[in-house]
Amino acid sequence: MMSLEKYMPAWVKRVGMVTVLLLFVAGIVFWGGFNWALEATNKEEFCISCHEMKENVFKEYQNTIHYTNRTGVRATCPDCHVPKEWGPKMVRKIQASNEVWHKLLGSVDTPEKFNAKRAQLAQNEWKRMKANDSKECRNCHRYDYMDYTEQGNRAAKQHPQAFTEGKTCIDCHKGIAHQLPAIDQHIGKQNEGAVEISHGEKPAENGKAEEKK
Amino acid sequence: MKLNRRDFIKANAAAAAMSVAGLSAPTGAVAAGKDDIRWDKAACRFCGTGCGVLVGTQDGRVVATQGDPDAPVNRGLNCIKGYFLSKIMYGGDRVKTPMLRMKNGKYDKTGEFTPISWKQAFDIMEAQARETMKKKGPNGLAMFGSGQWTVWEGYAAAKLMKAGFRTNNIDPNARHCMASAVAGFMRTFGIDEPAGCYDDIEHADAFVLWGSNMAEMHPILWTRITDRKLSSKHVKVAVLSTFEHRSYELADIPIIFTPQTDLAILNFICNYIIEKGKVNQDFVGKHVNFKKSVTDIGYGLRPTHALEKDATSNGYPGADGKPKGDTGKSEPITFDEFKKFVSEYTAEKVSKLSGVSVKDLNALAELYADPKIKVTSYWTMGFNQHTRGTWVNNMIYNVHLLVGKISEPGNSPFSLTGQPSACGTAREVGTFSHRLPADMVVTNPEHRKHTEELWGLPDGTIPDKPGLHAVAMARALKDGKVNFYWQQCNNNLQAGPNINEELYPGWRNPETFIVISDPYPTLSASYADLVLPTAMWVEKEGAYGNAERRTQFWRQQVKAPGEARSDLWQVMEFSKRFKVDEVWPAELLAKAPKLKGKTLYEVLYANGVADKYKVSEIAAGFDNDESKYFGFYVQKGLFEEYAQFGRGHGHDLAPFETYHQARGLRWPVVDGKETLWRFREGFDPYVKKGEGVAFYGHKDRKAVIFALPYQPPAESPDKEFDMWLCTGRVLEHWHTGTMTRRVPELYKSFPDAVVFMHPDDAKARGLQRGMECKVASRRGEIILRVETRGRNKPPRGLVFIPFFDAGRLANKLTLDATCPISKETDYKKCAVKVTRA
Amino acid sequence: MRFIPALLLTGAMLLSGAGSAGAQEVVESLRGGAPITETSRLDAMFRPEKDQDLIPRNFQKQPPLIPHSIKGYNITQNFNKCMDCHSRERAEETGATKVAKSHYLDREDKKLSNISPRRYFCMQCHVPQFDAKPLVENTYKPAAKKGE
Repeated sequence: MMSLEKYMPAWVKRVGMVTVLLLFVAGIVFWGGFNWALEATNKEEFCISCHEMKENVFKEYQNTIHYTNRTGVRATCPDCHVPKEWGPKMVRKIQASNEVWHKLLGSVDTPEKFNAKRAQLAQNEWKRMKANDSKECRNCHRYDYMDYTEQGNRAAKQHPQAFTEGKTCIDCHKGIAHQLPAIDQHIGKQNEGAVEISHGEKPAENGKAEEKK
Repeated sequence: MKLNRRDFIKANAAAAAMSVAGLSAPTGAVAAGKDDIRWDKAACRFCGTGCGVLVGTQDGRVVATQGDPDAPVNRGLNCIKGYFLSKIMYGGDRVKTPMLRMKNGKYDKTGEFTPISWKQAFDIMEAQARETMKKKGPNGLAMFGSGQWTVWEGYAAAKLMKAGFRTNNIDPNARHCMASAVAGFMRTFGIDEPAGCYDDIEHADAFVLWGSNMAEMHPILWTRITDRKLSSKHVKVAVLSTFEHRSYELADIPIIFTPQTDLAILNFICNYIIEKGKVNQDFVGKHVNFKKSVTDIGYGLRPTHALEKDATSNGYPGADGKPKGDTGKSEPITFDEFKKFVSEYTAEKVSKLSGVSVKDLNALAELYADPKIKVTSYWTMGFNQHTRGTWVNNMIYNVHLLVGKISEPGNSPFSLTGQPSACGTAREVGTFSHRLPADMVVTNPEHRKHTEELWGLPDGTIPDKPGLHAVAMARALKDGKVNFYWQQCNNNLQAGPNINEELYPGWRNPETFIVISDPYPTLSASYADLVLPTAMWVEKEGAYGNAERRTQFWRQQVKAPGEARSDLWQVMEFSKRFKVDEVWPAELLAKAPKLKGKTLYEVLYANGVADKYKVSEIAAGFDNDESKYFGFYVQKGLFEEYAQFGRGHGHDLAPFETYHQARGLRWPVVDGKETLWRFREGFDPYVKKGEGVAFYGHKDRKAVIFALPYQPPAESPDKEFDMWLCTGRVLEHWHTGTMTRRVPELYKSFPDAVVFMHPDDAKARGLQRGMECKVASRRGEIILRVETRGRNKPPRGLVFIPFFDAGRLANKLTLDATCPISKETDYKKCAVKVTRA
Repeated sequence: MRFIPALLLTGAMLLSGAGSAGAQEVVESLRGGAPITETSRLDAMFRPEKDQDLIPRNFQKQPPLIPHSIKGYNITQNFNKCMDCHSRERAEETGATKVAKSHYLDREDKKLSNISPRRYFCMQCHVPQFDAKPLVENTYKPAAKKGE
């Protein structure tokens, strides 16, 4: 025991071995706890533990291919909405605290309120995915992994064309897991003032309101 | 055989031009050149919307159909079923000759189907009918008809049964579909069918759907509502059902309620209107009476059922043999008593009962309460197929009457019909077991007398007791009380409730003789004893009456295949087999000696009235096989005889030929003018000047608001059978799929029935989408696949199964409980369990 | 095994000179061979037909069938998935069939600048196809080309 002392750095000697060990353990606990919390808040059950999510977007998602499909591979909420890399993940998590705040405020706690915000929420996600080249999609779906003989006629025709044009997944695949906000589609009058949807023709997503600025 | 599109368009360019020309021609028909397509108008064969179509024929076959651009109902649009009308008559397995179960050359109930001639068919029918009448009297006979019969088919059949054989045992399948609506109309207004019309759609500010999935079941009316809603931002749509379906795609107020609690919700709305002081006092004071009904009325089950034994007012024989009360009895009350009655239906209480939020309940009630909002309510089978179906019909009128929102453009409680002529034939003609033409009933001596006079028959010909209704008929077959059963134009063995316990045993009861008239080998036909090949749709001249009182005609366009004959021909030809002397008692015949020795055919059809019009009056270039056979213009004669009933009595029909020119007319047609909104001055010629509004169906010209409570359904989920079952239709198929499943495009669009259920309910039972599962009730079980996605999204605890699929008979599960007043089955509520198959 | 009897029947009718009255020997419903008293088992599960080119129409005013899978496609008040490819504005880029001119007419046949909302719910008239074999043959024949 004493013989170890000569190997100890001076600062250890100053604060004492026991303290160092305690700090070390505390570090593990905090780090573990942090990761545990990160993990726990990165699960579907957590995401839908508030009814804002469960009654709106989760219900819609249950009707889609990302919920159940041929091979039984499921993409859960964080797979699409939380980046895998540590840095971007932390950024997203910090943004999420804003969502918790709105949860406390009850900003979207009814389907009506949620729908009123749907356009804004959707555009936030589209913007994020457009900016990161649909990174979360590409965790599973990559252009260069596609075998066009396995795709339907329409997909096999459109995919290579779109990729050549430099489009990214979200340009065309909006609303595949959740219902879309009101989109201006030139049908009747019902979509007046609705969001204009882009299919990647323009450099970035622009809501009509923004265009007016 | 198949042309590509370009070739086809080229080939039809000339024909298309002709079709446009044809539209402006008064008859709507063009006798095109030999090489071209002849286009003529018809009514769609499917639902009660009553869309107009143009039928293109070439070389005696229908080659094309399209929505009639001039038809006011649909303006050129059809739904997917309507667009494929061209193919419904060409299923490869049309029945082309009578088929009888035979063994060793003789009829045998256990024998094999053998082709026979019409003469042989009528021989055996005659023998069986005679034997039944000998053993059981005329009430041993029964006929089950249809809201898909043409007007004259229903009329001829009702005459044969009620006046010819002298039994009121004739009922249409509309009993399963519209009877509650009828009873609702008669109780509230004293006259059948809606006050408003489809033009309400273009005027309304709000639509409320009560147990109606119009997006699938009335698609063309849905296009009009969609048009209105998406063109005018202020328009609101509320949809109420026990599960989410396609109509919810347009809903601003989507409401899912616990089955049966519609009763409570409607009382809540009345309470809300009264509490908020929104009652239209002037309207209510002038035009409305209040009544309170008896309530312990049972569930229309067999008298031995536990739910019937103690019911005090179910009308069944009691211990003393006398009927226990009267299900429809009511007594006058005051507005204040009504106010008190509904006051217990508070938002909080009803919210708890129905599972609908207080906020949604209030939003819904406000649509009715706000005097500035013109509101149109639509309902179909969710209301009608209900053990309190009559009540719930009365209760929606309560709401509209309290605020006076009725009988004017946009303000309309509107009962939609399921079948193309539920109104025109089943209701107006009076093919129900208790009815006579023009809203008259067999229990009223004056009505019988009037009918007998118009029919030239002696006093006392028509029996005074209602005959067997649909469910009672099935029970009577099983019990051996009815031995001769003739079914036309429907498939009750598949569409009727409780197949295992009630329908099938009657069908195969050794005492019964089952005759099925159908174009196709339906499930009903395949278990019948005699199958009669039947002409369908434009293989005969026809008339239908749709939900907005519009009567529409078409001419025979093509000939039926093989030996197939129309229902009308079958009824009339069969009537030749009997002399009045053989089927009427001597004392009745003594009152009309001139009828002695005559056949029923001569007494009922060749009676000097119905045979007045010559075959030569038939439009040139068109077949009319029945008229040519019988030697007079059958359809015109029967129609004009029938029309006498309604003219001057609020049911006025135009002259026969008018309907061959017009795209239908809404009765009452007075002085050549149709009526869009009834009961209101300025629209309805039956309302006197200065009267404003008159509900002239009742003698005091007032409508009735009924105080009616919430009561639980006949069967609810329990521990073992833990889910609700709701049955119904899908857009692509019509009823039991007899026609639509023979059109490849329609069959392939929705091949088999599936069970729609909530993904969490599936998960809890170890089920996943696409798996086979067994759905079982206390009465039977079926195996089908689980669907957790798609058009119908039930809440937890409820499953939905369409009934079109003969392979998966949803009606093996259903319970034969009915509304005790209307006798209409509740197909929307019974208890089932779902397990892995 | 469900529609084999129906096919046999059709086959038998063809062999015996289909169409002549009295050719029919059985009265078999679309339930097929399973007696009503038994529970009929399912055979195949049907799946959307593979994407194909246009499915030829039988007659001029027949709404074209949808020749591709529509799995996961929704039409809500907010968004019409079909028009995301088939609308006038989008059809060129997507290569989809452009929505017909008739869809720009209102009830009174007046021309609109946008698609008429009465046509909003596409699937009331246009349906996709599953790979089920027809239960019975349909003998409908399109109009013959004449005068050529």
